[in-house]
Amino acid sequence: MNFELTGEQKDIQKAAREFAQGEFDKEKILEWEQNHTFPRELWKKACKLGFVGIHFPEEYGGQGYGITENALIVEELCRRDSGVGIALSLVDFSSEVVLRFGTHEQKKKYLIPVTKGEFISAGAYTEPDHGSDITAMATTAVKQGGAFVINGTKTFITNGSLADFFVVLCQTDPGVKPPYRGQCTILVEKGAKGLEATEIMPKMGIRMTSTVELSFNDVRVPLTHLLGEENKGFYQVLEFFDESRIEIAAQALGIAQGAFDRALDYAKQREQFGKKLADFQITQHKLADMATKIETARLLVYKAAWNYDQKRIDPKLTSMAKMFAGKTAVEVADEAIQIFGGYGYITEYEVERFYRDAKITEIYEGTKEIQKNTIASALIGKLN
Amino acid sequence: MKKIIALAEHRQGELRDITWEVLSKGRQLAEGMGAEVEVALLGKGVKKLAEALKPKANRVLLVEDDRLEAFNSETYQKVLTQLITERKPSLTLIGHTAMGMDIAPALAVQLKMPLATDCIGVDVAGESFALTRQLYGGKVNAAVSFRKNGPYMITLRSGGFPVVEKEAFPGEIVSIPSPLTDEGLAKRFLQYVEAAVGEVDITQADVLVSVGRGIKEAENIPLVKELADMLGGALSCSRPVVDKKWLPKDRQVGTSGKTVKPKVYVAIGISGAFQHVAGMKGAGTVIAINKDPKAPIFSVANYGIVADLFKFVPVLKEKLKELKKS
Amino acid sequence: MNIIVCVKRVPETADADVVIDKSGKDIERSGLVFDLNEWDNYAIEEAIMLKEKMGGTVTVISMGGEDSNESLRKCMAMGADDAVRLTDPAFVGSDGFATAKALAEAVRKIPHDLVFAGVQAEDDGFGQVGVALAEILGIPHVSLVNSLEVQEKKMKVHRELEGGLEEVVEVDLPAVLTIQTGINQPRYVSIMGIRKVAKKEIKTFGVSDLNLKPEDVGLSGSYIQLEKIFLPPVGEGAQMLEGKPEDIASKVFDILKDKGGLT
Repeated sequence: MNFELTGEQKDIQKAAREFAQGEFDKEKILEWEQNHTFPRELWKKACKLGFVGIHFPEEYGGQGYGITENALIVEELCRRDSGVGIALSLVDFSSEVVLRFGTHEQKKKYLIPVTKGEFISAGAYTEPDHGSDITAMATTAVKQGGAFVINGTKTFITNGSLADFFVVLCQTDPGVKPPYRGQCTILVEKGAKGLEATEIMPKMGIRMTSTVELSFNDVRVPLTHLLGEENKGFYQVLEFFDESRIEIAAQALGIAQGAFDRALDYAKQREQFGKKLADFQITQHKLADMATKIETARLLVYKAAWNYDQKRIDPKLTSMAKMFAGKTAVEVADEAIQIFGGYGYITEYEVERFYRDAKITEIYEGTKEIQKNTIASALIGKLN
Repeated sequence: MKKIIALAEHRQGELRDITWEVLSKGRQLAEGMGAEVEVALLGKGVKKLAEALKPKANRVLLVEDDRLEAFNSETYQKVLTQLITERKPSLTLIGHTAMGMDIAPALAVQLKMPLATDCIGVDVAGESFALTRQLYGGKVNAAVSFRKNGPYMITLRSGGFPVVEKEAFPGEIVSIPSPLTDEGLAKRFLQYVEAAVGEVDITQADVLVSVGRGIKEAENIPLVKELADMLGGALSCSRPVVDKKWLPKDRQVGTSGKTVKPKVYVAIGISGAFQHVAGMKGAGTVIAINKDPKAPIFSVANYGIVADLFKFVPVLKEKLKELKKS
Repeated sequence: MNIIVCVKRVPETADADVVIDKSGKDIERSGLVFDLNEWDNYAIEEAIMLKEKMGGTVTVISMGGEDSNESLRKCMAMGADDAVRLTDPAFVGSDGFATAKALAEAVRKIPHDLVFAGVQAEDDGFGQVGVALAEILGIPHVSLVNSLEVQEKKMKVHRELEGGLEEVVEVDLPAVLTIQTGINQPRYVSIMGIRKVAKKEIKTFGVSDLNLKPEDVGLSGSYIQLEKIFLPPVGEGAQMLEGKPEDIASKVFDILKDKGGLT
């Protein structure tokens, strides 16, 4: 057993921490958050330093590390700021589907620009009538004259108005039972005729990322845009979730840590009734509980990431990590506000943003309820 | 008789304040050791400075040479090596300044002399000295001793020692021939330049005059701005002033503003909420003016004045004008 | 242009609570974050920029235990080519002078045109090592450098003086420059840099590898030693200035003058 990060991993963690410390400007963040602005300059800088796509092979512009290293970066960015951290960590969202299932040409064409800060990617899975349930898609892709013709609506699409390409889960064979055996993932580039994105706002948090409803109206894409094998889309996306949920768990972990850092600082400075807040046992116990939850979440997240990198795919562990880290983020951020008291409710003191941003980690990439389903089904097995 | 030699520091024709600090400390130590204090003055055409130094030391050791017109550690080192070797002081005192930092470490190596730098306290301890230095950017003080026998060299923190006025020495100026030749130098002084002045960056200012809620109206800001200008400092403020848009955000000191470390911070009409204090606790000296004697700012300030700022600040400005002239 | 940069790993104490440990001679180090000394960060950046412009190599040297590898790796990830760590039980307790002696022997073993050091270290704040190093090596130095320009076999550098004044100095090479903060904007470590470093080895030199005897360095080779540390006396709040406003104003003038508030 070894619970120590390698020297290289520590260097990566530190590099991300220093980048975030040096570049995340509190004033600008407040402004971006208020105006729903994506931090474009920071994104370009992060790419230049190799933070984006660190887990892609060198051949495709990446750094050849695993998702453990990616998780370390995501954690540090979110720790410094939940909003910017989430926005930056999602710029390559769903690129992994291309990475795992795409052809060499597809990977070259789409992944290299992602690492260079030229492309932002997005995944379009959720539909208005199907949230975390992707077993049947209303969005259809029909082969017609050497092309896929896509029709339907996707919703809550992260990066929707920023993305240069989308990985879209479509029903290609509507007749097959069960329907998830008739799905494909298809690449759609931005600007495709008939593709329309409508920003969904205002929203509780993640205000530096774009969230849209995406409608496909006879969108034609070449058949070469199919990712991987036909009718394997559902399985590809599930596999992708094993990976992406760890990243979301890392976001949650970073948010929790960031909220805790601020609460601890505040408790050590702020005086009430002639004593520092941290001198009160009630504050001490709060901080102890928060730190314990965070450490527990960290063990789960790192173990899930490490497992994945060891090619031991364990959806149960991934779901545990995501569910627990998300819950920890929400609880810790909530308690952090409480420690700040009235100041905690004020935007400028940041912890309220952490709280709002924390909440999404219990929702996207599978709600905590979906995670419980996954965990339970792995535990109980199929009951006939 | 035992001797202490203090090095005079001057630039562009004027003695620098550190000289008086070093001399004052030198004299105090000399008294404790039963020693004489001498001041070494190196330069070109600096007789006038020598005269000014005369009452402050038993002797002014004057080395004049055209090659000593501007400070150059290389020429200084040659002169001082000879001077110290010949006069055998028990202690050489130098300011820990841009000049002292450039000369003392090399000189000590050449003279094989134990050196303690940037001391904020020096006391005689038998044949040696008990020193106080600061570690970790001033968060911790350290008692330090010399491990080897003297003679010693110590550099003193600028502003770390008070100038104590004492009876003048009769003094004498001893001209010492310069050992310098026309032999080429590895390092050559070219010129002085004034550093470029950019936009106001309050984190870089040596002097900050900071204004708080007590200023009451935007129209009153110039009252304080003028004071900042008179001190050659920058204007900063606490949060309420920014909230009311009386000053831009980049002037704000505090948790949600900038962290500043000026030598002098003058807080005017600032109560001293900890969010503000967090941003200015690194200031060297804090002078607070507030009409509330219980304002928390007084617990972090070095000097406090309980006064109505609208009454006191104009008086202060008048007085500064008057005293700066004299 | 072959450049050697002397660096140190130090605890970041600016925003941390500093507690004195049981020995009374050091601060409690657990819980503190360590990093490359701030001045050295600028020094390494300046060296790498020069290398990128003029070619050559950058070698970093640090004295310290295995932990110091972290800072050396960071320097290499930023762009330094090689790293050397001076490590030996005999080095323990070295003051600025003893440190300079050890660094000098290491520098002599490595071809160089230029040596950089930070003006001072955040922890002990000697502000001495670079200049002493130059003297031991018998080469010229310029301290407090805040801009530089390489010319034929010499450099033109600016030294930062007090009160916004600078002096311009020309110095022959090889030389030691002590680098002031703010001279540049140190780069961030990139993942590409970290990857390159992973394959690199950090050489170590002990006393016997350097032309030194154990008594030349460490506490026995030092001129000063630390007796104990203590927290600076806590101020009991402000000294209240009282009297007529005119008299208080005069006192304020004196304080301003004394504390550098009149520039």
